[in-house]
Amino acid sequence: MKLKRVLCVLMASVMVIGTAACGGGDSKDKDSSGTEGTEGTDQNETDGAAENEGDAGEDAGDDAGAPEEDTAGDDASADDGPADLTVAAVETAYGADMWKEICAAFEESHGIKIDLTVDKKLEDVITSEMKSGVFPDVILRAVGAESGLTETFVKDNNLVDLTDVLSMTVPGESTTVGDKILPGFVENSIANPYGDGKTYLMPMFYSPCGLFYNQGLFTEKGWEVPQTWDQMWELGEKAKAEGIALFTYPTAGYFDAFLYALMHESMGNDMFQEALRYGEGVWDTPEAQTVFDIIEKLASYTESTTPANANDNDFQKNQQLVLDNKALFMPNGNWVIGEMAEAPRAEGFEWGFTALPAITEGGERASYSFFEQIWMPAGAEHQDLGKEFIAFLYSDQAAEIFAKSGAVQPIQGMTDKLEGDNKLYYSIYDTGAVAVMDAFATTDPVEGITTRSTFQDPVNSLVTGDKTKEDWINQIKSDCEQLRAALKE
Amino acid sequence: MVVGELCSPAIFSSNGDESMKKKRRGGFIVACVAPAVILFIIFMIIPTIDVFRMSLYKWGGYTANKTFVGLENFKKLSQNPKFYQAFQNSILLIVIVTLVTFCLALIFAAILSREKIKGQNFFRIVFYIPNILSVVVISAIFSAIYDPNQGLLNSFLSLFRGGSDPILWLGKPKLVIYSVAIAMIWQAVGYYMVMYMASMANVPESLYESASLEGAGRLTQFFSITLPLVWTNIRTTLTFFIISTINMSFLMVKAMTNGGPDGASNVFLSYMYQEAYTNSSYGYGMAIGVAVFVFSFALAGILNAVTKRDEIEF
Repeated sequence: MKLKRVLCVLMASVMVIGTAACGGGDSKDKDSSGTEGTEGTDQNETDGAAENEGDAGEDAGDDAGAPEEDTAGDDASADDGPADLTVAAVETAYGADMWKEICAAFEESHGIKIDLTVDKKLEDVITSEMKSGVFPDVILRAVGAESGLTETFVKDNNLVDLTDVLSMTVPGESTTVGDKILPGFVENSIANPYGDGKTYLMPMFYSPCGLFYNQGLFTEKGWEVPQTWDQMWELGEKAKAEGIALFTYPTAGYFDAFLYALMHESMGNDMFQEALRYGEGVWDTPEAQTVFDIIEKLASYTESTTPANANDNDFQKNQQLVLDNKALFMPNGNWVIGEMAEAPRAEGFEWGFTALPAITEGGERASYSFFEQIWMPAGAEHQDLGKEFIAFLYSDQAAEIFAKSGAVQPIQGMTDKLEGDNKLYYSIYDTGAVAVMDAFATTDPVEGITTRSTFQDPVNSLVTGDKTKEDWINQIKSDCEQLRAALKE
Repeated sequence: MVVGELCSPAIFSSNGDESMKKKRRGGFIVACVAPAVILFIIFMIIPTIDVFRMSLYKWGGYTANKTFVGLENFKKLSQNPKFYQAFQNSILLIVIVTLVTFCLALIFAAILSREKIKGQNFFRIVFYIPNILSVVVISAIFSAIYDPNQGLLNSFLSLFRGGSDPILWLGKPKLVIYSVAIAMIWQAVGYYMVMYMASMANVPESLYESASLEGAGRLTQFFSITLPLVWTNIRTTLTFFIISTINMSFLMVKAMTNGGPDGASNVFLSYMYQEAYTNSSYGYGMAIGVAVFVFSFALAGILNAVTKRDEIEF
């Protein structure tokens, strides 16, 4: 009996100790980034592209032309001993290999050791450590991801000022980082979120967004791609006569890139900037009215079943409408090509891509340029080395490694090196389209309001007729009032 | 065993010994209970208290920067129409899903356990299958059923109303929540049916025999014998209904519509998720969590009180 009791006590204490052990941190083991299970939900940055807040199409795009997608997250550091630099990057359609190569190249040239984490669900891997105060030195994660990781750091003023990186010389070269980056990519409200002339988020890979269509159908019917919105409506009538809808969209989230470009066309840069800061009265101006009128009209030309499929599950059915010649245009980014690579399509189908039509004959035509960002959290331990690493990412050596995986950086001379389809998309700005790169200004978190639910989601209700344009404008105005009050100074 | 042995005269030879034994016995019990209590405290009590505590802060969720704001989050919550929309949707789902599932499950259970039908086991399995499917599979099935162009439902309805103007089951803000409800009912019926069948099997056959001898029909038997005797079971399942509808509706909405179109299908937890994890408003999200916690506790309490009957023994 005594033995029994001793046994019982022993077992009980084993359980207690077990419990305690479970609670203990295993902070050393953070680079376990096996992500086989996350394929279905991988957050593809490139396609978070189209939706800068909240974001539905998030899970949308896989393989934006990147070949080796399945090489789930891994980390480079195999040896023991503390790393000199920790880098965390989200794995997107470009794959994880390029990051391993980049880190290996940096380790070789600088004789240091990098602890790399690459994962499709980056937040899940690094959040627990960040909560305990251990931050990666460098993080690649764009605004617009569903997790809002980057936005949260911006809103909390938790970023390292990277302005001095711009004046650093690219390692192994003679130009500075600032000279190498294409104009516009650091002078916008994403890279410079507080409007104080300081750069906090460095631009990394970019891709143009615009309207995608079936070039084959246009050739077959002898239609011209519209240059102005008036021509667009004419085309809408012609297509309607043939039983084809003018427009569809994957999810309402894709209206972010679309809306920015359209606002820029209509408002011009100054008023556009004011609108991005939720300026008072800006939504009552005739320029803003033009934007709403166009979207309202576009809603009436939208394929009627679009809202039913405009969710993360079924958005590809909407994209399929373009492939099946049931709708002419959809707003998208070039990841759609990889996304729909396996989908059946109409005979003679050929992807076409254009900037938004101009509002008046000869007016501005705009295309939103989505770019990913790399940044350093304020809690980063190795700040100098981190900045050196970021500068290295703009070197020709690094750009070549990235380009191999299809990731294009906004640096001088990159577009000349592109080939095939990529050349078509990236050369859109060479043919006269204006690149728009800003996003709505950063605010302190406003509970209950996201730019997604204010500016993009209501498009669904416009199409189904459950909201009028006036309802939408009123909602924008009242939400903007609260956002304006929470603006970062 | 323990009590008998501890009380044996050999052990309790003196008073001092007795108190020492008592102490040891107490220590033993504490040691036995400790693991469960510790686990419960760590994984249930502390997180729950944490939710309440966090609801008083403004916090982004990723870093250590928190600001204490008192009840500010609750104030904002009470003024937010989107929260009320999610609240309405949740209540609508709780009512519809509970009522319909409850009735269907009870009817099917009564038929399958009382009537002699061919292929009884087959039906049991068929009804139960939805319950073992994952939510993702269910949402895929229903998105195929609801598809506006090739979907099962619209194809069937077009026999009667023509196919020119498809119904957007997941696209119309006024319709979408009912579409979610149908999927949830389909998923839940089998589970509750099996629970009711289990307790119906315990009702003695002799009661039905004597009832039919006295001329009671099937319906009378159901309402006078079956229903009162499985009442305890029904009460338990009502609480389950509330909890599972709140949880399942989040999964369904997340997988099928992600709250869309235009936020029309948001429920409690999807709205909370949206705020806590995508709008950098973790504290506000936790305030929603507190509201859900209080609401579901209150509702379960009310239901329990309302359905209280004297237990019938058999």
